[in-house]
Order: sequence, then structure tokens, then C-alpha cells
Amino acid sequence: MAGAGGRAVALFRRLGLPERLLAVLLLVVIVDFAANSLLFDSVNSFELRRDDAERIAENLVLATRTLEHTEPPRRDSVAEVLSTERFTIDWMPVEERRRGSLGLANLRSQVVRIEPELALADLELHLEELPGRGNIGGSVQLGDHSIIRFHTHANAAWTLTAGRILSLVLPTLLLIALAWVLLRATLKPLRNLIGATRKLGDGLPEPVPERGPDELRELIRALNQMQERIHQSLLDRTQTMLAIGHDLKTPLSRMRLRLDDESVDPEIREGIEHDIEEMRLLLESIQAYVDSDGQSIPAERIDIAVMAETLVDTAADHGAAATYAGPASLELTVRPVPIRRALSNLIENAIHYGGNARVRVRRDGGAVEIVVEDDGPGIPEDRIADALQPFVRLDTARSRDTAGMGLGLPIVRKAVRMEHGTLDLRNRPEGGLRATIRLPLASG
Amino acid sequence: MTVASRLTSPLETMTPSPTILLVEDDGALRTLTARALRQSGFNVLTAATGAEMWVTLRETSVNLVVLDIMLPGTSGFDLFRRLRRESDVPIIFVSARGSEEDRVLGLELGADDYLAKPFSTRELAARVSAVLRRGGGSDSASEPATENRASDTITFDGWLVSLARRELRSPSGAIVDLTGAEFDLLSTFLGYPQRVLGRERLMELSRSRIGDSSDRSIDVLVSRLRRKLQLEGCEPPIVTVRGVGYMFRAEVTRG
Repeated sequence: MAGAGGRAVALFRRLGLPERLLAVLLLVVIVDFAANSLLFDSVNSFELRRDDAERIAENLVLATRTLEHTEPPRRDSVAEVLSTERFTIDWMPVEERRRGSLGLANLRSQVVRIEPELALADLELHLEELPGRGNIGGSVQLGDHSIIRFHTHANAAWTLTAGRILSLVLPTLLLIALAWVLLRATLKPLRNLIGATRKLGDGLPEPVPERGPDELRELIRALNQMQERIHQSLLDRTQTMLAIGHDLKTPLSRMRLRLDDESVDPEIREGIEHDIEEMRLLLESIQAYVDSDGQSIPAERIDIAVMAETLVDTAADHGAAATYAGPASLELTVRPVPIRRALSNLIENAIHYGGNARVRVRRDGGAVEIVVEDDGPGIPEDRIADALQPFVRLDTARSRDTAGMGLGLPIVRKAVRMEHGTLDLRNRPEGGLRATIRLPLASG
Repeated sequence: MTVASRLTSPLETMTPSPTILLVEDDGALRTLTARALRQSGFNVLTAATGAEMWVTLRETSVNLVVLDIMLPGTSGFDLFRRLRRESDVPIIFVSARGSEEDRVLGLELGADDYLAKPFSTRELAARVSAVLRRGGGSDSASEPATENRASDTITFDGWLVSLARRELRSPSGAIVDLTGAEFDLLSTFLGYPQRVLGRERLMELSRSRIGDSSDRSIDVLVSRLRRKLQLEGCEPPIVTVRGVGYMFRAEVTRG
């Protein structure tokens, strides 16, 4: 049973959306049909207790005989008089006779057995579709073809009424439930897909599991392939940059060594050395950007407080206005080189663009918070997101005096993300930029 | 016979200027680097390929190998591994990649130092001298080579110093960053444990090492270093000797 169910589910999974819809509708139709046949059968074979059947028979015979001998104009009022709360009677002059769809054949025979003359009056009994004045209805024909309609309550017939209502409601409920499940099953992989699309190109490709209807699975497959292509082209881009960088370093080395010749004019030497240094820094920032993916570099225990303070000291030793505030020691496990570079980039940025750097380190719950602030102009609000994009430089061409390729902050963000940390950049209300790195203490 | 046994032959090491074998595939760079090393007073042999390197190593005694790891033919790292297996000659490896992984891998494979392209004559000479000095230099090459190598790590009070990686680790195993000048100062202290060193002497000894020179006074550097080495509830390993200078109190173990 479970196996068959599993197979049915597996089959269902392989279907496309229209097929799934058809399958659901078919199932609902079958259930509707089955429920109706079952109901029809049970109504057909329904019998009442003998005394209940006798009551109906007697009431009917009484009503038939009485109305037969009453003048047509008075029949209405007489019928009203004959009606009780449990057995209502109407008289209708016309011949059109509405027979209920759920005939109570067995009950009719039962009643006719009790009062055979009712057979002559063409007794008809049915289950009322909607119980109003009673759950059993019926009619007999008078001699002049006018009709007596009656309704009565029979306790035993309530289960039939319930079944009747259920047979009306069940397929609808089933349809709603299946439609809901179908939609959910269709939309869930779609939601996964949306999530994956949002993260596309943001690190390693994560294939979305191929689930859902055919069309969706094809879409997911296409997206996974696209993801792979994007990743590959990003890899190619960085590999190309690395290769160029690598190949440039040998001629740069030669240039540098050639400069050490005595015969070179010191002024020229200084100029070219400066140029070589700038090129080296450019190439290094590409290398650092690629390395900040550094999955292969293992995480190690480091003292982040000492790291921050050492970077501040080094900057201060070179004459920059850099200060450190925080504990003397605070250990956590991260990849040391990318994190050191991240802190160094933030401090260098603060000094370069803001003129000074204030570094604070503190432990905040299960995380370490490192804040680097400056008193510079900050970043225009609408360009903060750009600042985190690789190869985007915020400063105008005129002030293009920094060595770098617009990789400083992207390197920071990549390094911090590797440690499951966060980088937040915002302008301080007092002016200047505040960069906040949060690194979880319990990272792997 | 292995290459190593030839390298440490006492007869050969009597030569006043150490012999450097430069392995570099780029012809022009090889010539320029060799010239730079010669200017710095070293005796230089060159090889363009791994095969040439082996020939030279078999024929001559060499004090140090400068190896470009991006050699064509065999991968630089394979060559490097084989060289390390067969010999204890100090190795400085040169890489154009400059990636941290390369550096760490190289040092872990047993390189004595790492040099990223592009380098200047001064930088190259300083690294070569430092490695030769650390490895015992020409005057002590007769010592068993293994001992020279082992002295690369130094421990004191649970702290661990790796000279090749220029790295300090706390007793809990955490990497504790030092500036170049601080590391040089620490190295100096470690060379003279339990001895009082005057400021002038400390300055002189530290400056002769490589690393960033700093204009900071020795007192500032010592106080920074002392703060980093200060553990809660422990005595600081560096003590001030009033009017004289400083002393490294802790017991130092090499190897």
C-alpha cells in the first residue's frame, strides 16, 4: 500500500503542470462519482423502523382520503389543518410532479406493504436534498391528478442526509486541498529558485535541487547551468587577471633590478621605482581579491585585538593619525591572511579618504565587533552599494592617486563573508565613514 | 651519496664568500639577479632548469639555493620537494604569484624564506644574508645541517616563534601579530636570553636584521612587545633593568 502510494507520488512528481492539474481533476471526478453512487445505493436500500413507516403510511392514507373528498378550493386550507410539525402536507392542483433525484425505493415498498392503496395513488418517496421542513419528501396523486406533497422528519434518515451533504462537499474540499498541495509543491521549488537567483554569482555556485513539475525542473536545470557558466566566466576572469599579473611580474622584476645599476640617474630611478611599486600594488590587489576566496587556506586561531592594534601601530609609525581602543587580547578562529588584509584595507581607506583612523575592537555576545571610523567626507549614500562592487572606483579620475583597482572594500567583504561575518558601511551622523565588521566567535 | 654530504664538506666552506645557486628560467632576469647577488658579494652559479640545477649541485658545493618555483618542465614545487628530500641546503624560493597559499606552502615544505617578484637588489641581498646567518652562515656550515634547520623554531614560556615564517604564537596557539620591527626586537632578545641589553646595543642588533626599520624609540617597541607578550597572571618575559636597559627573563628553547 505504502509502496503503491510512493510509486504514485513518484509518478506524480514526473508529471508536468497541466498533467498534474488533469490528474487532480480526474481524481476529484472519480471521488465525486464514487460518493454519489454510494449514496444512491444506500438511499435506495434505506428502510425505516416499522412504527416510523407505519406513521408515514397512516398519515398519507388519512391525507389522501380526506383531500379526495374535499372540494378543490378548500384543499389548501384542509391540507394546512392536516399538517403537523413533523408531517407537513401541501396540495397542488397542477399535474407537474417533481420527483427527488434520490428515490427511496425500499422505503416506498415498505410503506406500500403497510398501506397497499398508496401504490394506486402512485406514491413517490425521496430524500430531500436540503433538509428544510423534513429530510424525507414525497408525493401522491389524487383521483383528479392533483398532487399532495408531504415532508416528514425521520431520525433514522439523518445519516443519509449527512451523507448527501458530505457527497456534495467532499469533492469540493478535496479539490481545494489538492489544489493547495499542488500549488505548494509547484511554488516551493520556485521559491528556492528565486532565492538562488538572488545569490547568483555571489560566491560558489550552489545547484538548486531539481524538484517540482517538469517545466520547473527544466527551468531549474537551465538556471543551474547558467550558474555554472557565470561561475566559470568569473573564474576565467580572475584567472586571466592572475595570469596577466603573473606574467607582468617577471618584466617588473627585471626593471627593478636594472634600476639598481650605478649609471641610472637617481631622479629617474626614484620615479621609475615609484611606478613599479604602484604596478606591484595593483597586481597585488588582484591577487588579494582572488585569494580572499581562499577556501584552501585553513582557519587558524588568531588574536584579533593584537592584529588590529599592530596594524594601527604600523600606520601610526608611518605618520598616520591612527588610534586603537579595545582589549589587549581577544582570540578567535579565522583565516588570518584575508582577515588581516581586510582590516588593513579598512584602516588604509580611512586614512587615505578620511585622514585618520579610529579602530575599536570589542566582544559583543557571540561575536567580535571591529569598528573602523574616520572623520572624512564619507561616501554618498547612493554609492555605498557601489563601493562594495569589485572594480568600481568611487573617486573621480582627477584624484586617481591611489594604488588599487577598486578592490579594497570588495576584498574586505569577501574575507568577512568567508568567516560568516558581516560588513556594514555607513556614514556617521557627525560626518565620516564607519565600517563595522562582525565576526562570529564560534566560526569553523 | 646525497648532495648534502658534499655541501657540508669542511674544505669547501672555507671560501670567504658563500656560493649561491640561482635557478631561474627567464634569461634576462637570471643575468640581472646574478649580477645583483655578485654586487652584494656572493659567489653566484646559475641554472635555467631543474636538470641544470641537479648537475650543478652534484658538481659543486652550494651554501644556498634561490629557486624560482614557476620553472618550466617540472613544477617548481615538485623540484622543491625533491631538493628538500635530498639535501639540507637552505632554500629561498621566488614566486611571481605572490599568493599567500604559495608562501605558506613553500615555508611548510621547508623553504627558509620566500621572496615575491618584483624584488630589489637590496631586498634580495638582505634575505640571502639573513637565511645564511640563521642557517649558521659560512663559518658554521660544518655543523650538522639538521641542527641548523631545527633552530628555526624557538619556544619560551609556552610561546612559539617561527623565524622562517616570522610568526609568533601564544601558548593557546593563536597567531599574535608583530610589526617587522617588533619581530626583529623579539628575535634579538631570544638570541640573548637572561642577559641585560642596553638600548644602544638592542637598537644595533635589531637594526641589522631585515624587516621594516622603524623610527620608534626602542622603549616604545619594547613596551609594545611586552604588552603583547603579557598574559593575565603571568610575569612579563621582558623586564626593565633600571638605568641599563632590558632583559629577556624567560627560558628560551630552540628546536
